[in-house]
Amino acid sequence: MNTEKIKYTDEELVARFQKGDERAYIELVKRYKDRLLNFVYRYLNSYEQAEDVVQDTLMKLYTSAHMYREIAKFSTWIFTIAANLAKSELRRIKRRRVVSIHDLGYDDKEYEIPSEVYSPEKETTSSYGEKQIQQAIDTLPDQFKTVIILREVQQLSYEEISQILGVSIGTVKSRINRGRLRLQKLLKELKEQ
Amino acid sequence: MDCYSFDKVLSDYIDSTLSVKQRQEANEHIAACPGCREKLADMVNMLNCIRSLPSCSARPGFEARLMAKIAREKHKKEAPFANMLREYSRVISVAAAVMLLFATSLFIYTSVVLPGHSATPPAAEIRSIDAGPVNPVAQRPDMSVSGTEKNLPDSSKAERPNYNRRIMMVNE
Repeated sequence: MNTEKIKYTDEELVARFQKGDERAYIELVKRYKDRLLNFVYRYLNSYEQAEDVVQDTLMKLYTSAHMYREIAKFSTWIFTIAANLAKSELRRIKRRRVVSIHDLGYDDKEYEIPSEVYSPEKETTSSYGEKQIQQAIDTLPDQFKTVIILREVQQLSYEEISQILGVSIGTVKSRINRGRLRLQKLLKELKEQ
Repeated sequence: MDCYSFDKVLSDYIDSTLSVKQRQEANEHIAACPGCREKLADMVNMLNCIRSLPSCSARPGFEARLMAKIAREKHKKEAPFANMLREYSRVISVAAAVMLLFATSLFIYTSVVLPGHSATPPAAEIRSIDAGPVNPVAQRPDMSVSGTEKNLPDSSKAERPNYNRRIMMVNE
């Protein structure tokens, strides 16, 4: 069973699933669920909603696997679906926030960083806590946010990111550079608060 | 290279995608500019922090929940008629009510407003089709003997002999 798992590439598994092998689908789910969840979670900053989006992405894989052609890597294809669904979900969340924001006072905004983020172990290895970083990522404009997560969290290549977003490599490079500078500035501001 | 130009190539410098000449220029600038040196060090540190963020994984039962969701979708697709019925049940019930009302009105109209009207034509009329055009009044076999003949318009009365003759011809 294990040798079978190692034997097939993602593209071969999709081909098998396209021919009706449901075990190939399960294998793809196992391979990608955590990677997708990690990406969508950093994008939405909500575990529940991220899991819903990942489920929808994998369901789309189930219903639309016949649309996949081997001209692109499977990982780029599935990340494109996840990125689009995450974007729609974020738009929905923002719309809902606009409605409820009037009910919030200034005191409701939580900018305090819990002390455990600055644990001595972390202080030695890094000067930015997870919450700070997540908060800064949330504040980034969408075009920078997606590339930063794909590049820094998922550690995808420029080429893969350009395929996922459907933009040129030059645009990806420019967005990554500007996104990093923006993030650095935001983190500095958060640190000073 | 000035600070502005260094800002533009900072990412490429970190990712080592600069040409040899550009890298050399950037190195010279970093050596001379403490501000950009600090910026570079801070950026590298920030990227390391992001890359070392804890990764989250799916909760137990993720696959089971996904397969249940897929099964629900499949069921929806396999029984489209039942789903349509469920979805449009209100419209269907209104349409059925309208049709029932229409049928009832029609029944009342034919049986009360047109009391002499019969749904099935008499055998005599069916057979008389071959004999040529027939006066519609001839559809009522008891017309000549019943009291309703008083209510007939004059034109109908004028055609009555013709009608009687046809009945006789058919019966022969």
